[in-house]
Amino acid sequence: MKTVSIPTRQTPRDDEQVASPIESDSLVEEVSIDGMCGVY
Amino acid sequence: MTDFDADRAWRLHPQVAVRPEPFGALLYHFGTRKLSFLKDRTLLDVVRSLGEHSSARAAIAAAGIPAASAEPYVGAVRTLAASHMIVERDA
Repeated sequence: MKTVSIPTRQTPRDDEQVASPIESDSLVEEVSIDGMCGVY
Repeated sequence: MTDFDADRAWRLHPQVAVRPEPFGALLYHFGTRKLSFLKDRTLLDVVRSLGEHSSARAAIAAAGIPAASAEPYVGAVRTLAASHMIVERDA
């Protein structure tokens, strides 16, 4: 029988690069949450 | 629009909350309902220490950024000033 391992780790290691939630070359990105009522 | 001068003293706006994140930090302004994503931990250090330094440029230098590499950080702080995440203070 073949055994398949399924990766379960979901949190990044300390030395792992974590992607930003937004894409840009700048160091700062800004968003307004006005109009997002109803999003909880 | 806020006139930004990196050689003047700045501090976080009192209505801004800072939440460190693995990618840098989130700033939330309770007055303007704006979110800013800081995409660099060093920038977070700069922003947190603004109130302890006589100028934004001094805070950037204190975070270990050499003058030759400071421009992106000056630009980031300028962006935060324009959105009132930081405000000018008396030095």
